[in-house]
Amino acid sequence: MSVSFVLRAGERGYSRLVSTGVNATYVAGHPDGVITRHSSFNFHEYQSGIAGFGSIRVFGDEVFSPGGTGYNMHPHHNFIICAFVLGGALTHVNTLGKVDELLAGDYYVFSAGAGGKHAELNIGQEDARIIYLWVLPNQLLAPPSYLRGRFDAKANADRFACLVGNEPGALPVGQTLKVTRLVTGRNGTPVYRPSPARGVYAFVIEGEARIADTVLGQRDSMALTGEDRIEIAARSGTDLLLVETAL
Amino acid sequence: MKKYLCLGCGFSYDEARGLPEHGIAPGTAWVDIPDDWVCPDCGTPKSGFEMVEIPYWSRT
Repeated sequence: MSVSFVLRAGERGYSRLVSTGVNATYVAGHPDGVITRHSSFNFHEYQSGIAGFGSIRVFGDEVFSPGGTGYNMHPHHNFIICAFVLGGALTHVNTLGKVDELLAGDYYVFSAGAGGKHAELNIGQEDARIIYLWVLPNQLLAPPSYLRGRFDAKANADRFACLVGNEPGALPVGQTLKVTRLVTGRNGTPVYRPSPARGVYAFVIEGEARIADTVLGQRDSMALTGEDRIEIAARSGTDLLLVETAL
Repeated sequence: MKKYLCLGCGFSYDEARGLPEHGIAPGTAWVDIPDDWVCPDCGTPKSGFEMVEIPYWSRT
């Protein structure tokens, strides 16, 4: 058993991006629309933390204020960008021709590959709460792609639901990456079994879980390597994301 | 010949290919690109690139 790191919620990088001033062209929205971003890994201005884990480079816990706030159309290459909507509504527009609205439980995988642009907007009336995950691809400049899925918390209570990866019902990405979500309706200690030689980044969205003798509260996270079984002692009402990556 | 990836947006620089459209000749080593050079797509500084050993996509 090997714990690579434990990252408490308050130790993450923090950015507050306002739709006025120097960020005006990047941040969409009415004047003073705000994006808050907590970064688990080094990203933009946050450069004092953990560089990444396996192929993960960005894990952003973001909130867009209402009224059109978000990111205006901007370019990407190569990164596989996943968004998991926790609350509110996210409007996603991309240069593959997709205009999509995602609500709580919805998620997408946008592989930017040889080049694609996207805009991420909250045109709703309440905060949009989204987790963004960026992963290095295993091939550069692949044809870009967009897939979207839906996680039904009630139908998947107390089980590991694979959202992204090579499992039935999950969105495939054609490489070693697996994103699993666990939402508990009772106290329990389910066991997650990663594939050999993988790393697992565990992030508690809500609730509390004990993993490898470490208690993780809301927005705490940790990374593990060399595990073939991970016991997760989770309280009822816990919502957890597990990102399994090649190392 | 190495490849570098912009951590701000994913733009890739390949020493073998250079960036002729941005005035960098094929074969230009990363160390020979000025320190004040920034990502042509998103403005991330050169220091925000990571060396990667990832092959190009192929149909097979």
